[in-house]
Amino acid sequence: MTEPILEITNLSISFFVRAGEIPAVMDFSCKVMPGEAMGLVGESGCGKSTVALGVMRDLSNRGKITAGSIKFKGRELTSMSEKDLRKIRGSEIAMVYQEPMASLNPAMRVGRQLMEVPILHENTSVEEAYDRALEMMELVRLPDPERMMDSYPHQLSGGQQQRIVIAMALLSKPALLLMDEPTTALDVTVEAGIVDLVKELGSRFGTSMLFISHNLGLILETCDRITVMYSGEAVETGSVNDVFEQMRHPYTQGLFRSIPLPGADKYSHPLVAIPGQLPLPHERPAGCNFGPRCAFFEAGKCDIGEIHMQDAGVGEFHFSRCERVAEIDWDAPPTHDGIIEPTVPGEVILTVNGLKKYYEVAANKMFGGGESRVVKANEEITFNAREAETVAIVGESGCGKSTLAKILLGLETATEGTVSLGNLEIGSTDIGDRDTGTISSIQMVFQNPFDTLNPSHAVGAQIVRTLERFGIGNTPDEREERMLELLDLVKLPREFAKRMPRQLSGGQKQRIGVARAFAGAPKVVVADEPVSALDVSVQAAVTELLMDIQRASRTTMLFISHDLSVVRYIADRVVVMYLGHIVEQGTTEDVFSPPYHPYTEALLSAIPIADTKVVKKHIVLDGDIPSAMNPPSGCPFQTRCQHKNAVPGNICETDLPPTRTLAGGHQIKCHLADDILDRMEPVVALG
Amino acid sequence: MEYIGFFEIWGTVISQFWPVWLSLAVILSVSYHFRHSLSLYGRLFGSTIGMVGLVIVLFWILTAIFADWVAVFDPLEQFAMLKRKPPGAIDAETGKALLFGADNLGRDLFSRMVHGSRFVLIIAPAATMFAFIVGITIGLPAGYYGGKIDSIMSFLANLVLAFPVILLFYLLVTPGIRETPIPMAMAGFFFIFPILFFGVLFYSRYATRPGLLAIQLVCVLLVGGWLYSGLVFNADPLGIIALEPNELNIFASVVFVNSPTVFRIVRGITMDIKTRDYVAAAQTRGENAWYIMLWEILPNARGPLIVDACLRIGYTTILLGTLGFFGLGLAPESPDWGSMINQTRAFIRIVPTIALPPTLALAIFVLGLNLLADGLREQSLKD
Repeated sequence: MTEPILEITNLSISFFVRAGEIPAVMDFSCKVMPGEAMGLVGESGCGKSTVALGVMRDLSNRGKITAGSIKFKGRELTSMSEKDLRKIRGSEIAMVYQEPMASLNPAMRVGRQLMEVPILHENTSVEEAYDRALEMMELVRLPDPERMMDSYPHQLSGGQQQRIVIAMALLSKPALLLMDEPTTALDVTVEAGIVDLVKELGSRFGTSMLFISHNLGLILETCDRITVMYSGEAVETGSVNDVFEQMRHPYTQGLFRSIPLPGADKYSHPLVAIPGQLPLPHERPAGCNFGPRCAFFEAGKCDIGEIHMQDAGVGEFHFSRCERVAEIDWDAPPTHDGIIEPTVPGEVILTVNGLKKYYEVAANKMFGGGESRVVKANEEITFNAREAETVAIVGESGCGKSTLAKILLGLETATEGTVSLGNLEIGSTDIGDRDTGTISSIQMVFQNPFDTLNPSHAVGAQIVRTLERFGIGNTPDEREERMLELLDLVKLPREFAKRMPRQLSGGQKQRIGVARAFAGAPKVVVADEPVSALDVSVQAAVTELLMDIQRASRTTMLFISHDLSVVRYIADRVVVMYLGHIVEQGTTEDVFSPPYHPYTEALLSAIPIADTKVVKKHIVLDGDIPSAMNPPSGCPFQTRCQHKNAVPGNICETDLPPTRTLAGGHQIKCHLADDILDRMEPVVALG
Repeated sequence: MEYIGFFEIWGTVISQFWPVWLSLAVILSVSYHFRHSLSLYGRLFGSTIGMVGLVIVLFWILTAIFADWVAVFDPLEQFAMLKRKPPGAIDAETGKALLFGADNLGRDLFSRMVHGSRFVLIIAPAATMFAFIVGITIGLPAGYYGGKIDSIMSFLANLVLAFPVILLFYLLVTPGIRETPIPMAMAGFFFIFPILFFGVLFYSRYATRPGLLAIQLVCVLLVGGWLYSGLVFNADPLGIIALEPNELNIFASVVFVNSPTVFRIVRGITMDIKTRDYVAAAQTRGENAWYIMLWEILPNARGPLIVDACLRIGYTTILLGTLGFFGLGLAPESPDWGSMINQTRAFIRIVPTIALPPTLALAIFVLGLNLLADGLREQSLKD
């Protein structure tokens, strides 16, 4: 049997702070064989990044390895001297972090940064280092590598930066590559390209990988084996197929049930959220850490002593940290509260017609001179939304979805076109000119839970202030009472009114954000990626809450997102945007089945789906999203389109495609001929 | 001439400070007991540096308050027999020692040093506070709106900052200028800001509750008007606030040179905070700009502002020392630390310790403020 590249046994890492010792990782074991990719999955604060930093022995001065061993190629890392470690770091073990901009030195040309690796670790000559750097730039598929060697990091896009970081990591041909959420900061279509690259390079160089992610779908696409972590412990480990198909830990099962997989339906198969929240490191329960949130919890068994990893009973090297692994019926379907009646949409509430938003950006701000450039954030946006309907607006960064939200809310005014709320034109009215009724009838749920509440004011006071602005309640006492009712509505205890935002978890903050948006009985709520910054197990709960409130109040929801899995689950109709244009819109069913707009097709293919039964068509787009400052001529998508050669002539490059209406009001903005559209195959199929 | 020994000097000094020690002990033990509910101030107790700074600053505040009890003699009383005597010389008449010796006119250096803290501890924090209110009131809109308002405000601030401070003071305290209405106009201009600030503060928050707002505005106008009449026109109807024309001059000038720097800090922080979602949330519920600036942005800027306030009191203390040293704007016999250093420095050859009391007092106080600022910064980052 071959020697493992990395062997971690019973590793414990603690951080020592003023409050005392905080265990971050406990009793963690895993093995990475040569050429194998091990996925480490878990929610924020579960210790997955600490494991990677522990392998690098880069735990700052507060963190210490308190027990266990880390063996790299048979050599013990925990007791290695700093000098020997330096030789290994960057040459035999390389690391890729989440933020590419933070990994690159902004004051150095990327070429020099790449060349440093062979010069430092292998004492090569400058010429050889240059050649090798150039070769690696080509391998990570960067366009025009020679010119790119001479650029500074800020001149590159996020995807290109991350490719540079990966190139740098691979330059010394490491035996082990640690990747800590390498694609989280990137757009989905760019992410798909990076994932593709990592997979290819991994098999090409035979590099072993430790791939850290919170995204189960991504792990399925990249890894051979998986370790699921919860609250500092590994709770389940095994081959990807075993764990995905025959999970043997309640937490893993809960995770899978709380993410929208194909087949989930908001009416008949709603998501099942894991109740409760991650325990704080110093408040972990006795026995099983997952005990208080577990449906299979049995007092006297799960809450005493230490729970150890044990054989899961199915699959090879499949272990689970569950005392009752042999007793639980793992195939029992989740229990539901019964089927929810589908909502019937009412009258049209919101109509957006020919909306355009241009920004003028002065080339030289200081003296006002120079030529000004126009950023076309929104071009010809036309759609409507009916009462109680959920309309998803899908697109990647820079597609203009946030600008659209700003216009709807009155933070910006439209350059051209109209937005009507009921019979009232609001597209050209700034928030300052809107009356209280209009303001309270269109509200927003923000993306970042850590930013949505003012850290200086108590939670209750912030809701009360909203009520005050909207003129709800005549006396302070009435508003106080209404505020407490809103807390009940979002299923938070009434005591939370007096808490400060920092005392709340991300999910709880987002609930307050929902309460605030629904405070004035709005007709339309714009939800800007309301769950994307939350942990997977909390996402489902907040999503369900949002839908419950929406259903009860028959509010129209505009759900802005880049995540098509959530969109497929939650939306009635979908609007797909690219570079300020609506490229496709229709009912969820229409948009998710062929014919597609080529962009939608690529987007669908790019979303990692955590289901082994799903067969996906493999489409990876070249390049990055063009800048809205300098959009391509003709069709906005023509620079990356995979079907461009199916259109005769260069019409894609010269003419903006017309919006074509297909059966059932399904609209596509594309030059492709009807027969090609008709022949399109579904991207995602259940195998 | 009789003297007391080294240990007796320090023993007497320490015992003279008894009201200071007593209240220091009370304040610290009470604060320590309630430290968990005192937010940033309470967390200072976890930082050694911050604690040292806090104790030093509290020491001087309490010394200023109890100066009449701590001092042995009247700071202006001259002992003709004891001119330039070294520390520990005993006054034959009262039998009490001049603990730190006497200056050129035979005045007790210890008592002068103790009384000198009063001048600094009244002017420096008060002037800093006014400078903050001015800086905040113009810095918030400059950062929030940006554009032309920002350009104009920043230009004015740079203009003030580009002018040499000492030169400015020389100009402002020269009799020619002092007799013109310029100082009073300056004071009148700066001191109107607090009234505006608090008026807008309450108005933007409580406009929906007219009853409460009326009470608040009446309070602001009464208190503000009283302070304004006392400070600017020296016509306090209650006779509590009285400023010498010179002191008013110094006060207004210190505010004048400090507010542009505060303006820049506030402007920078505002530009950062205004991009946060909670500001957008406030905008989407239709809040007006001043509410957002004063109630959404300002509270979240308090960390860096508190730290800067500590440092700025320190700078102002040094500035006041410099002014005193040059004899700018203060009565010649005034027991402020800067004047004391100037009056004693010529005699260092005769009595080497003669300039030490005011110098060390100044240095220790500023050091304490800097340590306190460090401690506050350290603790506020931990949140």
